Amino acid sequence: MSSESDNTTEPTEYQHDDDGGPQPEKHCGHGRGGMGEEVTRKEDKRFITGRGNYVDDIKKPRMLHCEIVRSPHAHARIEDIDGSRAMALDDVVAVLTADDLLEHGLATMPTLMDDTQDVLVNDKVKFQSQEVAAVIATDRYAAKDGAEKVEVEYDVLDPVIGAEEALEDDAPVIREELDDQDDNHIFDWETGDAEATDAVFDAADVTVEEQMEYQRLHPAPIETCGCVADWDPGDDKMTVHMTSQAPHAHRTLFSQVSGIPEHKVRIVSPDVGGGFGNKVPIYPGYVVAAAASYVLERPVKWVEERSENIQTTGFARDYDMTGELAATENGEIKGVKVDVLADHGAYNAAAQPSKFPAGFFNIFTGSYDIEAAHGSLTAAYTNTAPGGVAYRCSFRVTEAVYLIERMVKVLADELDLDPAEIRRRNFIPSDAFPYESATGWNYDSGDYEKALDKALEMADYDHYREEQQRRIEEDADKLIGIGISSFTEVVGAGPGKQCDIAGIEMFDSADLRVNPTGNAVLRVGVQTQGQGHETTFAQIIAEELGMDVDNIVVEHGDTDTEPYGLGTYGSRSTPVAGAAAAVAARKVRDKAKSIAANELEAAEEDIEWDRESGEFHVAGAPERSITITEIAAGAYMNHPGSEEPGLEATNYYDPPEMTYPFGSYIVIVEVDRETGEVDFEKFVAVDDCGNRINPMIIEGQIHGGLAQGIGTAMMEHVTYDDNGNVTGGDFMNYLLPTAKEIPNFDTGHTVTPSPHHPIGAKGVGESPTVGSPPAIVNAVVDAMSHSGVSHVEMPMTPDAVWEALDEAELTLEPSANVDFAFDTSEEPADD
Amino acid sequence: MTDKREITLTVNGTERTVEAEPRKLLVHAIREDLDLTGTHIGCDTGNCGACTVLKDGEPIKSCLTFAVQADGSEIMTVEGMEDLPEASGELHPLQEGFREEHGLQCGYCTPGMIMSGKALLDENPDPEEGEIREAISGNLCRCTGYQNIVKSIEYAADELNKEPAAADGGTVTAEQRFADDDFDCGVENCCGGPSTETPHVEGADPQFDDVGGDDT
Repeated sequence: MSSESDNTTEPTEYQHDDDGGPQPEKHCGHGRGGMGEEVTRKEDKRFITGRGNYVDDIKKPRMLHCEIVRSPHAHARIEDIDGSRAMALDDVVAVLTADDLLEHGLATMPTLMDDTQDVLVNDKVKFQSQEVAAVIATDRYAAKDGAEKVEVEYDVLDPVIGAEEALEDDAPVIREELDDQDDNHIFDWETGDAEATDAVFDAADVTVEEQMEYQRLHPAPIETCGCVADWDPGDDKMTVHMTSQAPHAHRTLFSQVSGIPEHKVRIVSPDVGGGFGNKVPIYPGYVVAAAASYVLERPVKWVEERSENIQTTGFARDYDMTGELAATENGEIKGVKVDVLADHGAYNAAAQPSKFPAGFFNIFTGSYDIEAAHGSLTAAYTNTAPGGVAYRCSFRVTEAVYLIERMVKVLADELDLDPAEIRRRNFIPSDAFPYESATGWNYDSGDYEKALDKALEMADYDHYREEQQRRIEEDADKLIGIGISSFTEVVGAGPGKQCDIAGIEMFDSADLRVNPTGNAVLRVGVQTQGQGHETTFAQIIAEELGMDVDNIVVEHGDTDTEPYGLGTYGSRSTPVAGAAAAVAARKVRDKAKSIAANELEAAEEDIEWDRESGEFHVAGAPERSITITEIAAGAYMNHPGSEEPGLEATNYYDPPEMTYPFGSYIVIVEVDRETGEVDFEKFVAVDDCGNRINPMIIEGQIHGGLAQGIGTAMMEHVTYDDNGNVTGGDFMNYLLPTAKEIPNFDTGHTVTPSPHHPIGAKGVGESPTVGSPPAIVNAVVDAMSHSGVSHVEMPMTPDAVWEALDEAELTLEPSANVDFAFDTSEEPADD
Repeated sequence: MTDKREITLTVNGTERTVEAEPRKLLVHAIREDLDLTGTHIGCDTGNCGACTVLKDGEPIKSCLTFAVQADGSEIMTVEGMEDLPEASGELHPLQEGFREEHGLQCGYCTPGMIMSGKALLDENPDPEEGEIREAISGNLCRCTGYQNIVKSIEYAADELNKEPAAADGGTVTAEQRFADDDFDCGVENCCGGPSTETPHVEGADPQFDDVGGDDT
């Protein structure tokens, strides 16, 4: 084999013969723990024993605490801020306002969408709970005492809530400080071919249209955001331990904002308690803590409360979409149109690194071979928290998948076709890959029908269709609904030609060092928040070098020691950094061959590596073999003259294309006609993420994402009242599903490797969050579609479902056996 | 706010003294005064359960409890699990269960889940799935979808029910262990609770009767 240059993908080397059947036994410490093995996680022990190290666990000598004073109003001009009563408290060390930050050039910060956000409000508050001042004190209670004593005088203005209202002619202008901004319009975006799409719509036998809102959500990791900033005047160095999904990119941004040279900024992302996109942006609290540490020359800790997290940090979705499909009478989809009104909040801070203003939304042709497509989108400022982050998805893919999968159901109902059958008639055929979609995406590989067939079989589809019919005919109290989603994701951001953060292309990196005693350290530019990188990346090395997984340590999250990378989100760790790790291992393997030749006294070109045994041997003489452990010793103690000593390699990997995981989910629900309650009868998820590294971890990711999908479809919504008050801004009001709302899932898989990825893997973490909401909504709608119901908005609370039932004249009077929590027999007393 | 009081807590079997203002939350005393950072904070409103500890054997949310309210009580946190006799000097079966069944991802909710699991198994050594889900319904997890957490607790129940060895060298089942006393967890068809004709466990959701999840 010739030596590899960076980014040689060598795609065909690893061939997984996984046909979707039972997985290998769990790794018990005796095998190598390579690809496809259910290795238990290396990182678990510290978490189950309470030895994890999250940001709020960090305690430094002389450390101060930061509490942020927030605006109670959504839209207000600040007339005056008086911190003197706070400063009078013994334990308060400083009160910071925008004026203090202006001195250091830190009053504003750039968002990831090139907008400029106030760190502390200088002039006008633009959303409720926006950062107005900061109190720094010796302990967290004292900081809160101080915050209560800061007096702020506001001139309250009319708030603008809702994108539609924001774009009305007489709406108050939120961002008047911006040049040329005399309304609340941010941008328009168009994709696809309008003319060609209109033509297929004109010629179509049938067209359908549906309006649907993807409501505002919050990723809500159980750990909120926070940091400990520590300016060291001795070394002129700023160290920030922070809840960061992208420590290297954050270091570059920190350096740009603060003016501290990049090599004097160290970002450490320690254990992170969930991210889901919430910890991709930079938030004002981080900047305030760093500024305070710089000014006071002491470490400063800032950790959000839950309400601060939900009310001010990156929300997700908030897309009001109108979809249309054009089709033949036998259900062949010819064209798709979509028009979107997007609420971006008070700043354009969507935190998506693609070169497209609406991210990858134009994947909305989904899994289907559609001739013509057109999308248009308008984004608006409102007096709500900024965001539009990619909550466990690649940059608006979730919205796109929801749209197309809902529309396919709408079309199936219009044509009275089975929703599985209509999908089958429109899938991109498995022999059509690589496939270019009508909106320009290059799908790498797929076999959509295989995944759907498997899901149908697992769900016992035909049986439930019969049961559904039986219940309708018998006018049963509980209706059955069956929902399908056959989604395609686009993940692995991404090729530098399509994606960057602050101009830095979205490659990722791995640095592999084999020690003299034969174990190894792998450092990666991505960062785990629960995905299990310390295990799965070690498995890639175990596979590619023939080492035991127990002999590999994976390090991540410290910009002083790890190679530069763009972080973990958008299911990019395996597609990008996983590829870098495999390529680095192959580089080490190449060098190992030269050392093996020296040790075995053979020519280098005669040395072969056997994947099965993990050993190197002389061609034709397998008994003349040598292990990587022996080679490692040779590299340091007896290196050949033709090579440098040592055994290590680094790879920076810029993927040639995205990867396209897919799957079919089938949800069977029972809808109670008396109460509108929805019970999950069966929840089947068949995923295809290409070659699989650790099936146990993949299944865990699927479970978690499905639970989030249920939260999305049934419970979660960040709501505002007309005055801009957040009415869904804590865990009392923003409802996450508990163990009682989440059913057991039946998971299955197919394997269609990515042809361009070094180990044929695609990334999986986001498929379930992306793919499941339309399956759930389709199921609830399906329970009522015989009575003409075509849509129910999320979250589908019992109340919302009952309304839909009532409109379709499907409700039943409560029977005697319904338990009411409260006695409803008496009229409520007047207030 | 300098009116500090001295309180005494027996934490994981060791007596500890803390100087705390009356308003100090127990979770802050545990994390910041006693440096036991395994107990976490996730919501401030008692919803997420990341701060769950055992107070005199009962699971409580330490973010809703003032430290002074715990004066004189026995507190158990995740850090105490390895010292329990069932751990045999290593991991407690609950901890082992979470690792073996992949019951955690980011790990942030895990200590609270383990403590809620312990409180359940102390009272009900062989719980049904619905009872496990009920017992952890005050603990939010954003990563796992709960299915593997349920399995983790079931794993621990199975392991614990194998011990201790009975006098004849066999194992003692949960039924045997509770046969001699009047323990009653209050649940129908369980531990001496009232019997009904159709087995039904209060709090158990019928949708969990048929456990799926096979990766076929």
